[in-house]
Amino acid sequence: MVYYITTLLVYAGVDAIACLALSQQFGVSGVTNFGFIIFQAAGAYAAAVLSLPADSANGAFQTYVGGWHLQFPLPWIGATIAGGLLALPFSALVGKRLRGDFAAVGLLVTAVMANLLITNYRPFLNGDAGLALVPAPLDNHFNPLSANYQWGYSAAAVVLAFVVYRFLTRVTESPYGRTLRAMREDDVVADSVGKNVRSLRTSMLVLGGAIAGLSGGMLVGFINLWDPAAWGYAESIVLFAAVIIGGLGNHKGAILGAVLVPVGFLEASRYLPEVGRPGLVPALQWVAVGLVIVLFLWFRPQGIIPERRRLIAVHASPDDAPALAPAPPPAPVRALRPRSKEREVALEARGIVRSFDGVRAVDGVSVAFERGRLTGLIGPNGAGKSTFLAMLAGTLEPTEGSIFYDGEEITRLPAYRRARRGLVRTFQLASEFKRLTVLENLLSAVPNQRGDSLYGALLGRRYWGSDEQAAIARSEAMLDRFGLTAHADTYAGDLSGGQRRLVEIMRALMAEPQVLLLDEPMAGVHPELAHRIGNLLRELCDEGITIVMVEHELAIMDEFADPVVVMAEGRVLAQGAMSELRAKEDVVEAYLVG
Amino acid sequence: MNVLVPSIAFGLISASVLAIASVGFTLQFAVTNVLNLAYSSVMIAAAFVAYAVNRHGVTIWVAALAAAATGAILSLFLNRVVYTPFQRRKASPIAIVIVALGMTLIIEYGTQAIAGPTNVSYSMSQGSTLAIGSFRLTVAQLAIICMSIVLMLGVHVLIRFTRLGKAMRATAANRDLARNSGIRTDRVVNATWIVSGALCGLAGAVFGMDAGTFGATSTDLFLVLILAAVFLGGPGEPYGAMLGAVVIGLGTEVSAAFIVSDYKDVIAFVVLLAMLAVRPNGLLGAKA
Amino acid sequence: MQSRDGLKKRRAHRSLGFAGVLLVVVAASVAVSATGSAAVRTGVGNSLTIADVAPFTGVDAALGPTYLVACDAASNAIDKAGGVDGNQLNCKSVDTRGDPADAVPAVRQLYATTSNLTMVIGLTSDEAAAVVPLINGNKTVAFGMTGQAEFDHIHYPYFYRLVPADLAESYAMVAISHFMKHYKRVALAFGNDIGSQTFVGPAKSAVAKAHEKLVADETLDLKATTFRTEAAKIIAAHPDVILTEALGPAEAAFLSEVKQQNGGKAIPIIGTSATISPDWYKSVSAAVGASTLSQGFLADNLVVDTQGAAYKAFKQAIFAEKGKVGNTGSFSTYLTAPGAVHLYDGINLAALAMVASKSTQPSVYKGYLSKVASGKVVVHSFAQGVAQLKQGHTISYVGPGGPTKFNNYNESNGIFQVDSYTSTGKVKVVANIPNQWMAAVR
Repeated sequence: MVYYITTLLVYAGVDAIACLALSQQFGVSGVTNFGFIIFQAAGAYAAAVLSLPADSANGAFQTYVGGWHLQFPLPWIGATIAGGLLALPFSALVGKRLRGDFAAVGLLVTAVMANLLITNYRPFLNGDAGLALVPAPLDNHFNPLSANYQWGYSAAAVVLAFVVYRFLTRVTESPYGRTLRAMREDDVVADSVGKNVRSLRTSMLVLGGAIAGLSGGMLVGFINLWDPAAWGYAESIVLFAAVIIGGLGNHKGAILGAVLVPVGFLEASRYLPEVGRPGLVPALQWVAVGLVIVLFLWFRPQGIIPERRRLIAVHASPDDAPALAPAPPPAPVRALRPRSKEREVALEARGIVRSFDGVRAVDGVSVAFERGRLTGLIGPNGAGKSTFLAMLAGTLEPTEGSIFYDGEEITRLPAYRRARRGLVRTFQLASEFKRLTVLENLLSAVPNQRGDSLYGALLGRRYWGSDEQAAIARSEAMLDRFGLTAHADTYAGDLSGGQRRLVEIMRALMAEPQVLLLDEPMAGVHPELAHRIGNLLRELCDEGITIVMVEHELAIMDEFADPVVVMAEGRVLAQGAMSELRAKEDVVEAYLVG
Repeated sequence: MNVLVPSIAFGLISASVLAIASVGFTLQFAVTNVLNLAYSSVMIAAAFVAYAVNRHGVTIWVAALAAAATGAILSLFLNRVVYTPFQRRKASPIAIVIVALGMTLIIEYGTQAIAGPTNVSYSMSQGSTLAIGSFRLTVAQLAIICMSIVLMLGVHVLIRFTRLGKAMRATAANRDLARNSGIRTDRVVNATWIVSGALCGLAGAVFGMDAGTFGATSTDLFLVLILAAVFLGGPGEPYGAMLGAVVIGLGTEVSAAFIVSDYKDVIAFVVLLAMLAVRPNGLLGAKA
Repeated sequence: MQSRDGLKKRRAHRSLGFAGVLLVVVAASVAVSATGSAAVRTGVGNSLTIADVAPFTGVDAALGPTYLVACDAASNAIDKAGGVDGNQLNCKSVDTRGDPADAVPAVRQLYATTSNLTMVIGLTSDEAAAVVPLINGNKTVAFGMTGQAEFDHIHYPYFYRLVPADLAESYAMVAISHFMKHYKRVALAFGNDIGSQTFVGPAKSAVAKAHEKLVADETLDLKATTFRTEAAKIIAAHPDVILTEALGPAEAAFLSEVKQQNGGKAIPIIGTSATISPDWYKSVSAAVGASTLSQGFLADNLVVDTQGAAYKAFKQAIFAEKGKVGNTGSFSTYLTAPGAVHLYDGINLAALAMVASKSTQPSVYKGYLSKVASGKVVVHSFAQGVAQLKQGHTISYVGPGGPTKFNNYNESNGIFQVDSYTSTGKVKVVANIPNQWMAAVR
């Protein structure tokens, strides 16, 4: 009886650790790693070959690499390292450019094939037979079959699960964690506020892989045997089911899921009476798992314990100030260039061409944007405005041509690096981080935060707390300025269309831009609010920020933009003040209807 | 005896089975933008239906029609009852993939619950073995190859020359635009899933004929081959899927002649990963 | 907005709440585990449980039920003869799912939920290495079916192996091919799983010793569905015989492709004892035809008495179970399936040992296992044995599996015979394999 309880506890601990790792990768960071099980397997194999002697009993009946007979805790450390190292080659699959579901499928197939390879290539890890007689940790000091040892193992499993939980919570409840969640919400947008998505994903793969490896090492030390049957396709799906049911994005949910699904459900099914023909009950069990996955995703996608809203302690501000009070913002971290009499060029495009399958969406555009001006960009549908803006921002690569920022060429610089240098964009379609609060949206864009790295997150609140406080103060002021203080803790996705626009603009401002690229910021916004935003943008220009704004509303252009660039069919048709342009015949013909 | 030449013949058989399956899969992706990972489970369910019919004395070539019907019905059900509602809710592509995996479990193990865990075989005669030079094929295998060619031609005609085909291409290219141009996109999507579902069912029956014996989990690995063929040609490109099937089918069998045969399916895996890493839209798709 | 302290308190409360929920869930699981126990039939009087620990699902799903049939047959016959000193024997199935990570909790659950466990049977190579130490540590007598090399020289006092090591089967197969059929060119085609791969090494060395030529060695991936190229390679090597074992659909697919590519002519096959099973026959005969199997197929198998009194008793016991198990083809193949025969013998031996030692404690009765196999009066069933013991005689139980002799390592060395199938699927003994043959290729 005791042994059964200890077995369940060890399995619960191991599964909890595995689910926590998966929760960190999938639930928090949005990295869908369907090959997850191979990291656990790598850890188990590593621990096995490290702890096995060179020639295991019975005349070398099994062939494997390694065999150095290392003592505990080295095999477990080795397991963790192996899981982490294995993740590195996979980073090629999780680069930003591959669709999420394609990458996921690639990883799934990798897991299936890894199983096949290991099964068929015997000299490596003894093929299908796997590795047996794996020594239990500390077996030269204790008897592994004694009750005390078993309790000790269970305690170790539970304690380690707790340690992993605290460790991952520390990572997630930090500015770095917020960045991960932002990436999960929308990786393209995260890229545009300066987050190196590829590096973040790789880090999460490695971190999750290492923890999964540890769980594998723990499991193999307990059952003393590891073979390909233990890490098939089905095992990965079970872990995903556990995390989904327990609660995505919530580490407590991961632990609950681990207890309910691999331990609870699969163990409980042993007690079911054998009805019908042999094999009926196990088949139905899998049908049930599939059904539960689909039903949960439909009825309760957030899981049993949903991700909780992060309420950031904000100092109470005075009554909701009237909208857009012209209060001076606190001094930003990045000093703006002082305005000089002479207008210098902040951003320049030279001969930019972009073709898609032979169609030239942008056909040789050269424009120079002067610092401190609000330049409008107009043109009929299909003129190539958004495409051009995307190339300025780095979201798209130009087929030909070059881009200069502050005099330096940045044509090949990725978007996130441009954002870090102060070249920030907004998007045409709503692109707030939906399941982050408004305040978190703002905080996510703050550059140079000490807590915004894995290292910083691990050092804890004491390390990044002051940076965070400063950022919060800035955000509060920004909210105040835009009149959204009351919604600081609302999920950004729950706001109205106009409010979401404001959040996006605020977020872009939090990134301390020197040049702001706005893609139709007024689209769908109430005219009065649009007017207020326009005024605000003018103020920002006065403060030295350069703005490039794509818009359809000609009234806005009339009032706020000077100069205005007109594009049509991928080329620049004319540049100048609106009044001048209205007088030009070709412009009128191409576009202006009045 | 040279093993290379016969392996080309084997490759053609593999390619034939794979082609029927891959074209169906890629059509589903084209119009709905969903990687229907439950495809292989629908295949095997259809194969079992054909087996049930076959057991009652109907020749497998006719029972395959039952498989096609099963495939069509199940696929239509999958799209209308499962995928479309999730898509309407704006579920992310990842969520849909997980739903697809869940449906795979339900369909595959549901089949096993009904049919039992033991393996079954169709009662069919292979016919005599024809030797054409060093090629050795049975009559049945030749019939499979011919069936596959006919079906591919049929798909070609459908896509290029019929109204439905044109509507499918329009819907696949840009659904909103197609709808705004007056195409009843919902109907087109349903029709596509019915057609591709029939292909899926037929592929299941042919798979069963080719494998000799099969069980509810026999198509698990086959899904990888389908994915490799589809991604090689480009997801959503029917001609790409045909090309991919030929390359993967021949590649796996011919390589088995040279390297240790255990690893022949690994070729498909390497191709798939390489395509995903380098050119996810496939050889015939647009450059990413 | 919340104050920082308020937030902390709420967080702390939530953590406690969560921990509480978790504790309740864990406690509930443990409680359910402790009380639940569905599959034991209870009889009148005290009952003792025999557990069949084997795969009931997964690739080797046929094995568990086969052993269960033998268990039911033996225990029911024993119960009819009065049980073990009045105690009834019952069989319980424990599904290891064919995978060690599942087998360990399954065995642990067994111990937690069975107070009267008296022996364990089954234990295939899928899970034996993980669970035998546990069972041995719990001092339960276990009769295992695994021939894998791990157990060749290991001391587990409570673990008895009723089949010889896999080595011996390889030698037997080669002995058949060389001495009986005089083949010269040998091809190997074994599945890539543990159970089948262990035959390859010894087979190769035996082939060398017998001065035969190894012309091909193909490993069959059990998950694949076609083996055309493997078949082509084997045919290209022009073997006289193929030695094979590949469980599941693989064997059928492979053999049918060999036949088809060889112009419709099958190449002679020699299989391991695992090929003498109802499932194997059903799927392979459907693929290559019953007549092919009846003409060109031989298998090595442990000697099974098909004539005498022991066999009669065994047959009676097995057929009493007919209709109580699922359909796997011809029921009479259970009469020669290796698991069925030897486990039946093992259970009878154990029951007789319990009677002889007047104890149902494994630690006590295990000492009598060899005693009841080496006494004066030869008996062929439990009923006969008990009658003799009552009269104070020492007995020697010889069951359908022949006499049992355990060596130092609790292995029984076996004598091999050569089996084949008739055209209706019945198993026929064709010859015996004398020791000289075995010695020559060892």
